[in-house]
Amino acid sequence: MAYESVKVEKPLSLILLPILSVFTFFSAWELIVDTGIVPSTMLAAPSAVIKLFLIKLTDPNPDGAILAAHAWTSGKEAFIGYLLSLAFGLPLGLLMGWFTVVRGLARPIFELIRPIPPIAWIPLTIFWFGIGIEGKVFIIWLGGVVPCVINAFVGVRMTNPTLIQMARTYGASDWQIFVQLCIPSALPMVFGALQIALVCCWVNLVGAELLAADQGLGYLISMGRRLALPDMVVLGMVCVGFVGAVIGYAIERLECRLLAGIRR
Amino acid sequence: MKSADYASSQYICLERDNMNTPKIVCQNISKIFIQKGTQRVHVLQDISLEVRDNEFLVILGPGQCGKSTLLRIIAGLETPSEGTVLLDGQTVTKPGPDRGLVFQSYMLFAWRTVMGNVEMGPKLNGVPKAERRKIAQHYINLVGLQKFENHYPHQLSGGMKQRVGIARAYANGPQVMLLDEPFGQLDAQTRIFMEQETERIWQTEKRTVLFVTNNIDEAIFLADRIVSLEGKLPGRMASVYDIDLPRPREHTDMKFLHLRQMITDASTLTL
Amino acid sequence: MSAMIKQPTNSGTGDRAIANEVQEAVGEKKPMTIYRVITNEYFLYCVSTVTFLLVWQVIGQSDMFKGALASPVQVVLRFDRMLTDTLAGLTLWGHIWASTSRVLIGFALASAFAIPIGLFMALNPYVDAIIKPVFDIFKPMPPIAWVSIAILWFGIGEPSKIFIIVIGTFVPCLLNAYTGIRLIEPELYDVVKVLGGNRRDEIIQVSFPASFPAIFAGLQISLSNAWTCVLAAELVASRSGLGFIIVQGMKMSDTSLVIGGMVIIAIVAWTTSLLVIILEKLVCPWKRKLEGF
Repeated sequence: MAYESVKVEKPLSLILLPILSVFTFFSAWELIVDTGIVPSTMLAAPSAVIKLFLIKLTDPNPDGAILAAHAWTSGKEAFIGYLLSLAFGLPLGLLMGWFTVVRGLARPIFELIRPIPPIAWIPLTIFWFGIGIEGKVFIIWLGGVVPCVINAFVGVRMTNPTLIQMARTYGASDWQIFVQLCIPSALPMVFGALQIALVCCWVNLVGAELLAADQGLGYLISMGRRLALPDMVVLGMVCVGFVGAVIGYAIERLECRLLAGIRR
Repeated sequence: MKSADYASSQYICLERDNMNTPKIVCQNISKIFIQKGTQRVHVLQDISLEVRDNEFLVILGPGQCGKSTLLRIIAGLETPSEGTVLLDGQTVTKPGPDRGLVFQSYMLFAWRTVMGNVEMGPKLNGVPKAERRKIAQHYINLVGLQKFENHYPHQLSGGMKQRVGIARAYANGPQVMLLDEPFGQLDAQTRIFMEQETERIWQTEKRTVLFVTNNIDEAIFLADRIVSLEGKLPGRMASVYDIDLPRPREHTDMKFLHLRQMITDASTLTL
Repeated sequence: MSAMIKQPTNSGTGDRAIANEVQEAVGEKKPMTIYRVITNEYFLYCVSTVTFLLVWQVIGQSDMFKGALASPVQVVLRFDRMLTDTLAGLTLWGHIWASTSRVLIGFALASAFAIPIGLFMALNPYVDAIIKPVFDIFKPMPPIAWVSIAILWFGIGEPSKIFIIVIGTFVPCLLNAYTGIRLIEPELYDVVKVLGGNRRDEIIQVSFPASFPAIFAGLQISLSNAWTCVLAAELVASRSGLGFIIVQGMKMSDTSLVIGGMVIIAIVAWTTSLLVIILEKLVCPWKRKLEGF
């Protein structure tokens, strides 16, 4: 009987403070660069970043591609890696959750590979795949597959035991219980995995491109460093952050929609 | 003061002349919550009642009738939209150590042992360590949890958890005990046992008790007086029953069963 | 990053074990049949590990990868040599310590700042209103993206590596401390109020202890982020550390060095996260054991 009394009016200061705070942040950033407190070889002012953004929309120099091409390359790699990690990780996690044999066989290998940060695989993937798209997709896949397996696994393990017993008394086979009961009850966790995996994939994308690439947002950042152009570095970071935030928000909305029917 | 409107006149439902001065007086209490910014929920309407000193008063009502809200208002955790609550003639505005509250969902501090939970009240009120240990130990013994002082809440069963909750409220030395469906989460057998324990504890440490429940048996077993609320929002007073059965009471006693029948009939009328 | 936080909260109901396991636990001892042995989980663990190593060994010895995959035996022999020989002036222990000390310094710095800020934000709406919007701008940026700017600012020395680790660990630490307090049951504060406590008592007696588990979950995420960051920093530019070993292996086309470096990172990262778990057990002895992964 937890009734909550909602305050109807928010204090005006709480509405104004966030706006003021963001405004102060950007003007301070602009000022410390413009006044030369921080040299412009180290940090680019927001105005310079915006200017470069407008230039990069059409001009492929000096890094070889326009911004849209970088974003398209990165998005493509991340998306392929993401889909592959879902296609592999979710079924594996679900099966590991229910079938002892799968769990027994897959878990030790998974536990061996899990603590290795995906970017540690970069040298090996360069040996194996060269610096083409396959290597990057592999790194991204490694990042996404871990949360997929874990969430699907935990989701199945959290199936209400009483429901399983109920199904057994009705004479359901192991496979039927798995398909009809375990997978539906793991769905909320699986949707959680969709979100976490996407974030992991996107983070690893930057790592993969930082070391071996010829196009992509991560490549834009490392080119900015090599050419000592801080505005390009910051532009790349802002793009990566912005796209990441948009994807995260979109998935969250999608999850709310899809889960509305499952959660009461 | 507006007296309760009686659901059925054939039964003896009356407010006796008070021998003692009332400990708690609720005057025309109404409560309206605002949900999601605009939606108004009328939870309580025009509740007036008096609780005598050392009386065991049970507020009886089905789920969602605002009885917990009434208790929270008396505890000072909510402010009534209309009306006032007087404790010893003083208006209640905020929670205080003179009222002890026991929660339905125990609300123990998971990070403190049984001892740590029970001594919390004296600790917050600045009682020195040795003394508050002694007080806490007294109440731990009273609720029968000796040897469990150093257990953490997750190591205890539901009944034991609520004993800690009761001991914690008692250890703060309140004049009034407020219990909000304290046994709602317990199984039937534990519940009956805990009711007997509650009566025993109340007999040892006489306090004014306000006990909220949705269980008619529990109400008759414990109460000096039962105030029943209507079973829909907004909660209104339905009837008041005096329970004159001698203690300890028997669930199978004829008078007990008769009372039970009477209250059941009356409450179905109000639904 | 915000999604990471789901893991600790989601496993909250993990103590409801799966039904057939409960039955096994209380069930009577069954006779040992071949079927029961080959479906035993621990037996399968051994089978799987041994098979994995064997297959790896066979593939590594064959020409399938054209020398791009060292066999486990080669890796072990290579690292046995590393214990005494030096690479860029440091033995294996030296490189392990170089990476670990970076992680520990960055991790300690970040948690020392991030956790108090997170707690402060959750407890005071005005602090929240000021810091949250700026924090939200930085939140979605992958920590690895900061490697470049760190090198522009601090060069390729130690400060730039520690800076990257601080950035990478800051976000999960702060977020978990923040949500840890936000998710506290409001009725727990009522308990303190009813017992006669003031706002300060509520914070000390309820807010802080109740947020510990969430903070520790944040520390775990931070730690794994810290290892990713230190590797990224060392892969880009360094003269010591485990990332450096891997890069050297790549430059010298010595896959046994690369794979060995990866294995050692896994072991060291796993050990440090075990240390955090032990620390949590010491600080929160009241926490119920949860069945996670």
